[in-house]
Amino acid sequence: MADPITPSINLSLCNHCTLCAVLCPEDALTMREQGPVFNIPLTCTYCLECEGLCPTGAIRAPLTVTWGAQSESINLS
Amino acid sequence: MENDVLSKIPMFSSLQPDTRLAISRCAFTRQLAPGYTLLIEGMPAEHGYFLISGEARALRMNPEGRVQVLARFSNGDPINLISLLSKDKANRATIETLSEVTVLVLSASDFHRLINRFPDFSALLLHQLATRLAKMTDLAADLSLYAVRARLARFLIELADLKPSPAGWTQDEIAAHIGTVRDVVGRLLRDFEAAGLIQRQGGQITLQNRDQLAAVAQEQDL
Ligand code: SF4
Ligand code: SF4
Repeated sequence: MADPITPSINLSLCNHCTLCAVLCPEDALTMREQGPVFNIPLTCTYCLECEGLCPTGAIRAPLTVTWGAQSESINLS
Repeated sequence: MENDVLSKIPMFSSLQPDTRLAISRCAFTRQLAPGYTLLIEGMPAEHGYFLISGEARALRMNPEGRVQVLARFSNGDPINLISLLSKDKANRATIETLSEVTVLVLSASDFHRLINRFPDFSALLLHQLATRLAKMTDLAADLSLYAVRARLARFLIELADLKPSPAGWTQDEIAAHIGTVRDVVGRLLRDFEAAGLIQRQGGQITLQNRDQLAAVAQEQDL
Protein backbone atom coordinates (compact mmCIF):
# COMPACT_ATOMS: atom_id res chain seq x y z
CA MET A 1 0.00 0.00 0.00
CA ALA A 2 1.42 3.44 -0.91
CA ASP A 3 2.30 5.68 2.04
CA PRO A 4 -0.25 8.43 2.59
CA ILE A 5 1.64 11.69 1.89
CA THR A 6 -0.99 14.16 3.03
CA PRO A 7 -4.20 13.78 5.00
CA SER A 8 -7.28 13.50 2.80
CA ILE A 9 -9.90 16.24 2.94
CA ASN A 10 -13.54 15.46 2.22
CA LEU A 11 -14.71 18.86 1.00
CA SER A 12 -18.35 17.83 1.17
CA LEU A 13 -18.01 17.70 4.99
CA CYS A 14 -16.05 20.98 5.28
CA ASN A 15 -17.85 23.93 6.92
CA HIS A 16 -15.12 26.45 5.91
CA CYS A 17 -14.18 27.22 9.52
CA THR A 18 -10.54 27.78 8.30
CA LEU A 19 -9.04 26.22 11.47
CA CYS A 20 -6.90 23.74 9.54
CA ALA A 21 -5.42 26.36 7.22
CA VAL A 22 -4.82 28.94 9.98
CA LEU A 23 -3.32 26.55 12.53
CA CYS A 24 -1.28 24.21 10.29
CA PRO A 25 2.28 24.62 11.68
CA GLU A 26 3.77 24.23 8.19
CA ASP A 27 1.40 26.57 6.32
CA ALA A 28 0.65 23.64 4.06
CA LEU A 29 -3.00 24.59 3.44
CA THR A 30 -4.72 27.54 1.78
CA MET A 31 -8.42 28.27 1.95
CA ARG A 32 -10.14 28.39 -1.44
CA GLU A 33 -13.78 28.80 -2.33
CA GLN A 34 -14.36 25.04 -2.19
CA GLY A 35 -12.42 24.60 1.09
CA PRO A 36 -8.79 23.98 2.11
CA VAL A 37 -6.30 22.83 -0.53
CA PHE A 38 -2.66 21.81 -0.19
CA ASN A 39 -0.06 24.39 -1.26
CA ILE A 40 2.54 23.51 -3.83
CA PRO A 41 5.38 22.94 -3.05
CA LEU A 42 4.04 20.56 -0.48
CA THR A 43 5.25 21.33 3.03
CA CYS A 44 2.91 18.98 4.93
CA THR A 45 4.79 16.83 7.45
CA TYR A 46 1.78 14.65 8.28
CA CYS A 47 1.85 15.97 11.85
CA LEU A 48 -1.89 15.15 12.23
CA GLU A 49 -2.72 18.56 13.78
CA CYS A 50 -5.36 19.45 11.20
CA GLU A 51 -7.17 16.14 11.62
CA GLY A 52 -7.45 16.76 15.36
CA LEU A 53 -8.60 20.34 14.87
CA CYS A 54 -11.24 19.79 12.20
CA PRO A 55 -14.64 20.06 13.89
CA THR A 56 -16.55 18.20 11.18
CA GLY A 57 -14.35 15.14 10.62
CA ALA A 58 -13.60 16.32 7.07
CA ILE A 59 -9.88 15.61 7.46
CA ARG A 60 -8.66 12.03 7.75
CA ALA A 61 -5.02 11.18 8.31
CA PRO A 62 -4.83 7.38 8.37
CA LEU A 63 -1.76 5.54 9.66
CA THR A 64 -0.62 2.23 8.22
CA VAL A 65 1.52 -0.11 10.29
CA THR A 66 4.14 -2.54 8.98
CA TRP A 67 7.21 -4.34 10.29
CA GLY A 68 10.59 -2.81 9.46
CA ALA A 69 13.38 -4.89 7.92
CA GLN A 70 15.34 -4.97 11.22
CA SER A 71 12.34 -5.76 13.41
CA GLU A 72 12.92 -9.52 13.81
CA SER A 73 15.47 -11.11 16.13
CA ILE A 74 17.97 -13.03 13.99
CA ASN A 75 17.67 -16.79 14.38
CA LEU A 76 21.00 -18.45 13.65
CA SER A 77 19.86 -22.06 14.14
CA MET B 1 -28.83 -12.52 -7.46
CA GLU B 2 -25.85 -13.88 -9.42
CA ASN B 3 -24.39 -16.96 -7.72
CA ASP B 4 -20.84 -15.73 -8.44
CA VAL B 5 -21.31 -12.79 -6.03
CA LEU B 6 -21.02 -15.44 -3.32
CA SER B 7 -17.54 -16.34 -4.55
CA LYS B 8 -16.41 -12.92 -3.28
CA ILE B 9 -17.03 -14.15 0.28
CA PRO B 10 -14.16 -16.61 0.92
CA MET B 11 -15.85 -18.55 3.74
CA PHE B 12 -18.79 -19.45 1.47
CA SER B 13 -16.43 -21.54 -0.69
CA SER B 14 -16.85 -24.43 1.78
CA LEU B 15 -20.65 -24.50 1.35
CA GLN B 16 -22.51 -27.17 -0.65
CA PRO B 17 -23.79 -26.04 -4.10
CA ASP B 18 -27.46 -26.27 -3.00
CA THR B 19 -26.74 -24.10 0.06
CA ARG B 20 -25.05 -21.50 -2.13
CA LEU B 21 -27.97 -21.60 -4.52
CA ALA B 22 -30.47 -21.10 -1.67
CA ILE B 23 -28.48 -18.10 -0.38
CA SER B 24 -28.21 -16.55 -3.83
CA ARG B 25 -31.99 -16.83 -4.28
CA CYS B 26 -32.85 -14.73 -1.23
CA ALA B 27 -29.81 -12.48 -0.72
CA PHE B 28 -29.21 -9.13 -2.38
CA THR B 29 -26.32 -6.65 -2.43
CA ARG B 30 -26.15 -3.05 -1.24
CA GLN B 31 -23.54 -0.38 -1.88
CA LEU B 32 -22.84 2.01 0.99
CA ALA B 33 -20.93 5.30 1.12
CA PRO B 34 -18.04 5.89 3.57
CA GLY B 35 -19.26 7.03 7.01
CA TYR B 36 -22.71 5.47 6.55
CA THR B 37 -24.47 4.17 9.67
CA LEU B 38 -25.72 0.74 8.69
CA LEU B 39 -27.14 -0.29 12.06
CA ILE B 40 -28.01 1.54 15.26
CA GLU B 41 -27.43 -0.08 18.64
CA GLY B 42 -30.68 -1.10 20.34
CA MET B 43 -32.83 -1.06 17.19
CA PRO B 44 -34.49 -4.32 16.04
CA ALA B 45 -32.12 -6.63 14.15
CA GLU B 46 -33.85 -7.04 10.79
CA HIS B 47 -30.97 -8.05 8.52
CA GLY B 48 -27.69 -9.92 8.56
CA TYR B 49 -24.79 -8.85 6.35
CA PHE B 50 -21.62 -10.29 4.86
CA LEU B 51 -18.99 -7.81 3.77
CA ILE B 52 -18.07 -8.24 0.10
CA SER B 53 -15.67 -5.28 -0.11
CA GLY B 54 -14.56 -2.29 1.97
CA GLU B 55 -14.31 -1.93 5.74
CA ALA B 56 -16.74 -1.21 8.58
CA ARG B 57 -16.61 -1.06 12.36
CA ALA B 58 -18.84 -1.95 15.29
CA LEU B 59 -18.93 0.56 18.11
CA ARG B 60 -20.69 1.43 21.32
CA MET B 61 -20.91 4.84 22.91
CA ASN B 62 -21.17 5.48 26.65
CA PRO B 63 -23.50 8.22 28.04
CA GLU B 64 -20.58 10.73 28.02
CA GLY B 65 -20.12 10.14 24.29
CA ARG B 66 -16.88 8.13 24.58
CA VAL B 67 -16.68 5.58 21.78
CA GLN B 68 -15.37 2.03 22.14
CA VAL B 69 -14.71 0.18 18.91
CA LEU B 70 -15.66 -3.46 19.41
CA ALA B 71 -14.69 -4.90 16.07
CA ARG B 72 -13.54 -3.97 12.61
CA PHE B 73 -14.88 -5.88 9.64
CA SER B 74 -13.27 -6.54 6.28
CA ASN B 75 -13.77 -8.83 3.31
CA GLY B 76 -16.05 -11.79 4.03
CA ASP B 77 -16.83 -10.95 7.65
CA PRO B 78 -20.42 -11.45 8.85
CA ILE B 79 -22.09 -8.43 10.48
CA ASN B 80 -24.92 -8.55 13.03
CA LEU B 81 -24.68 -12.28 13.52
CA ILE B 82 -24.91 -12.19 17.32
CA SER B 83 -27.89 -9.77 17.26
CA LEU B 84 -29.86 -11.99 14.86
CA LEU B 85 -29.22 -15.06 16.99
CA SER B 86 -29.87 -13.44 20.37
CA LYS B 87 -33.16 -13.70 22.23
CA ASP B 88 -34.14 -10.01 22.14
CA LYS B 89 -33.13 -9.64 18.44
CA ALA B 90 -31.82 -6.11 18.97
CA ASN B 91 -28.69 -4.71 17.33
CA ARG B 92 -25.82 -5.19 19.80
CA ALA B 93 -23.74 -2.33 18.40
CA THR B 94 -23.80 0.55 15.95
CA ILE B 95 -22.17 -0.34 12.63
CA GLU B 96 -20.47 2.37 10.57
CA THR B 97 -18.73 2.04 7.21
CA LEU B 98 -15.12 3.22 7.01
CA SER B 99 -14.87 3.19 3.22
CA GLU B 100 -17.11 2.47 0.26
CA VAL B 101 -18.64 -0.84 1.15
CA THR B 102 -20.57 -3.58 -0.65
CA VAL B 103 -22.54 -5.97 1.53
CA LEU B 104 -24.54 -9.10 0.89
CA VAL B 105 -27.82 -8.76 2.75
CA LEU B 106 -30.07 -11.46 4.17
CA SER B 107 -33.35 -10.70 5.93
CA ALA B 108 -33.71 -12.08 9.47
CA SER B 109 -36.37 -14.55 8.32
CA ASP B 110 -34.24 -15.87 5.42
CA PHE B 111 -31.26 -16.05 7.74
CA HIS B 112 -33.17 -18.27 10.20
CA ARG B 113 -34.66 -20.38 7.41
CA LEU B 114 -31.17 -21.05 5.99
CA ILE B 115 -29.87 -21.98 9.44
CA ASN B 116 -32.71 -24.46 9.91
CA ARG B 117 -32.45 -26.05 6.47
CA PHE B 118 -28.73 -26.12 5.71
CA PRO B 119 -26.44 -27.64 8.39
CA ASP B 120 -23.28 -26.52 6.55
CA PHE B 121 -24.52 -22.88 6.76
CA SER B 122 -25.19 -23.24 10.52
CA ALA B 123 -21.78 -24.88 11.08
CA LEU B 124 -20.11 -22.01 9.23
CA LEU B 125 -21.89 -19.44 11.40
CA LEU B 126 -21.00 -21.37 14.54
CA HIS B 127 -17.35 -21.21 13.55
CA GLN B 128 -17.68 -17.44 12.96
CA LEU B 129 -19.37 -17.00 16.34
CA ALA B 130 -16.58 -18.89 18.10
CA THR B 131 -13.98 -16.68 16.38
CA ARG B 132 -15.88 -13.52 17.33
CA LEU B 133 -16.26 -14.70 20.93
CA ALA B 134 -12.53 -15.40 21.17
CA LYS B 135 -11.77 -11.87 19.90
CA MET B 136 -14.22 -10.31 22.37
CA THR B 137 -12.66 -12.28 25.23
CA ASP B 138 -9.21 -11.00 24.21
CA LEU B 139 -10.54 -7.43 24.00
CA ALA B 140 -12.14 -7.67 27.47
CA ALA B 141 -8.88 -9.04 28.90
CA ASP B 142 -6.89 -6.29 27.15
CA LEU B 143 -9.11 -3.52 28.52
CA SER B 144 -9.11 -4.82 32.07
CA LEU B 145 -5.59 -6.19 32.45
CA TYR B 146 -3.23 -4.09 30.41
CA ALA B 147 -2.03 -0.49 30.59
CA VAL B 148 -2.93 1.81 27.66
CA ARG B 149 0.72 1.74 26.55
CA ALA B 150 0.60 -2.05 26.41
CA ARG B 151 -2.72 -2.03 24.58
CA LEU B 152 -1.30 0.30 21.93
CA ALA B 153 1.81 -1.87 21.51
CA ARG B 154 -0.36 -5.01 21.19
CA PHE B 155 -2.60 -3.29 18.67
CA LEU B 156 0.32 -2.06 16.52
CA ILE B 157 1.76 -5.60 16.47
CA GLU B 158 -1.66 -6.99 15.53
CA LEU B 159 -2.03 -4.50 12.64
CA ALA B 160 1.49 -5.14 11.35
CA ASP B 161 0.93 -8.91 11.42
CA LEU B 162 -2.29 -8.75 9.37
CA LYS B 163 -2.03 -9.97 5.78
CA PRO B 164 -3.01 -8.25 3.58
CA SER B 165 -2.30 -4.95 5.38
CA PRO B 166 -5.56 -3.34 6.42
CA ALA B 167 -6.51 0.18 5.31
CA GLY B 168 -5.07 2.90 7.53
CA TRP B 169 -6.44 3.75 10.97
CA THR B 170 -6.71 7.34 12.20
CA GLN B 171 -5.55 8.25 15.72
CA ASP B 172 -9.20 8.64 16.75
CA GLU B 173 -10.02 5.15 15.49
CA ILE B 174 -7.01 3.63 17.25
CA ALA B 175 -8.00 5.45 20.47
CA ALA B 176 -11.56 4.20 20.23
CA HIS B 177 -10.34 0.66 19.65
CA ILE B 178 -7.97 0.50 22.62
CA GLY B 179 -10.26 2.41 24.98
CA THR B 180 -8.51 5.76 25.28
CA VAL B 181 -8.50 9.21 23.67
CA ARG B 182 -6.70 10.59 20.63
CA ASP B 183 -4.22 12.77 22.55
CA VAL B 184 -3.00 9.77 24.55
CA VAL B 185 -2.42 7.79 21.34
CA GLY B 186 -0.48 10.74 19.86
CA ARG B 187 1.67 11.07 23.01
CA LEU B 188 2.37 7.32 23.21
CA LEU B 189 3.33 7.15 19.53
CA ARG B 190 5.81 9.97 20.14
CA ASP B 191 7.17 8.08 23.20
CA PHE B 192 7.52 4.87 21.16
CA GLU B 193 9.35 6.79 18.44
CA ALA B 194 11.73 8.43 20.93
CA ALA B 195 12.45 4.99 22.43
CA GLY B 196 13.29 3.59 18.97
CA LEU B 197 10.37 1.14 19.01
CA ILE B 198 8.79 2.63 15.90
CA GLN B 199 9.69 4.95 13.05
CA ARG B 200 7.22 7.32 11.46
CA GLN B 201 7.30 8.73 8.00
CA GLY B 202 4.19 10.44 6.76
CA GLY B 203 1.31 8.11 7.47
CA GLN B 204 3.55 5.05 7.66
CA ILE B 205 4.47 3.57 11.04
CA THR B 206 7.28 1.02 10.86
CA LEU B 207 7.75 -1.24 13.86
CA GLN B 208 11.46 -1.54 14.64
CA ASN B 209 11.92 -4.16 17.31
CA ARG B 210 9.55 -7.06 17.82
CA ASP B 211 11.06 -8.23 21.15
CA GLN B 212 10.96 -4.81 22.80
CA LEU B 213 7.46 -4.08 21.53
CA ALA B 214 6.28 -7.49 22.70
CA ALA B 215 7.72 -6.68 26.16
CA VAL B 216 5.81 -3.37 26.27
CA ALA B 217 2.69 -5.23 25.13
CA GLN B 218 2.87 -7.37 28.29
CA GLU B 219 2.99 -4.44 30.75
CA GLN B 220 0.08 -4.90 33.12
CA ASP B 221 -2.12 -2.19 34.60
CA LEU B 222 -1.05 -1.96 38.24
S1 SF4 C 1 -0.85 17.15 8.71
FE1 SF4 C 1 0.13 18.86 9.81
S2 SF4 C 1 1.48 19.77 8.28
FE2 SF4 C 1 0.02 18.49 7.15
S3 SF4 C 1 -1.64 19.89 6.59
FE3 SF4 C 1 -2.22 18.92 8.52
S4 SF4 C 1 -1.54 20.36 10.11
FE4 SF4 C 1 -0.47 20.88 8.21
S1 SF4 D 1 -10.91 22.45 9.81
FE1 SF4 D 1 -12.29 21.03 8.70
S2 SF4 D 1 -14.20 22.16 8.51
FE2 SF4 D 1 -12.63 23.67 9.04
S3 SF4 D 1 -11.90 24.43 7.03
FE3 SF4 D 1 -10.56 22.74 7.61
S4 SF4 D 1 -11.48 20.95 6.61
FE4 SF4 D 1 -13.04 22.55 6.62
